[in-house]
Amino acid sequence: MTRRILIIDDEDDIRLVAAMSLETVAGWDVLLASSGKQGIERAGTEQPDAILLDVMMPEMDGPTTLLKLKASGTTSHIPVLLLTAKVQGPDQIRFAEMGVAAILFKPFDPLTLARQISTALGWKDGG
Amino acid sequence: MNKDRILPNEPVSTPSPAPEAQSHEQKLQAMLAALWIRSRHTVAERAALLQSAVEKMAQNRLDKATQLSAVDSAHKLAGVLGTFGLPRGTDLAREAEVLFGQSTPPGKVEIERLQLLLAELTSLIERGPVNPH
Repeated sequence: MTRRILIIDDEDDIRLVAAMSLETVAGWDVLLASSGKQGIERAGTEQPDAILLDVMMPEMDGPTTLLKLKASGTTSHIPVLLLTAKVQGPDQIRFAEMGVAAILFKPFDPLTLARQISTALGWKDGG
Repeated sequence: MNKDRILPNEPVSTPSPAPEAQSHEQKLQAMLAALWIRSRHTVAERAALLQSAVEKMAQNRLDKATQLSAVDSAHKLAGVLGTFGLPRGTDLAREAEVLFGQSTPPGKVEIERLQLLLAELTSLIERGPVNPH
């Protein structure tokens, strides 16, 4: 089954590495967005199977983007995984309460990223 | 062996990965190597910004905007270097992020530590990953 994953991250390098990782290792289709605003729009129109969302972004950060995704009827059902370089203990609890499916950490291993996502979401595929 | 690989080289005695996985790994390594060539300029610029910030810090001239830029650059470097196969770079950048992010004025010890770790970070970036993953 070909999954469709939306990656929302303001860093070009991270978007590209994550995309090539998921496409090459798992054979998934990848959609890209470089801001929270663009990500919310793409999530609504493209209906991906999951969203990989950066925490620290300018203008609209990851938690704010997550809240908007969960508040919208067209995107609230899409599982969101946060991708972050730094999460304090209290933040993890806060993110869990906001409805995040999982927290993945940067730097990630491109060879196992798809498997991490699959494991977190209970999918059988993922390389 | 390159110590900066996240995934160590397979020891000779361990079973080889399945051909399909091996193919994925080789393809991904080639892509990462190409992407590193494209990205290393940006990465080096971020490290240079940190160097400039610590010089200002040593002269007691570090303004708030430069400090915030340094924290942001260190955070971005921490997030990306390990993914390119430079986990030591991630460790150094994380330490720099903490030191630049302190609310109290840094002391001589902190400044000297920053100078040392940024010298190592710059050197790591100049060398680059021998083989990203």
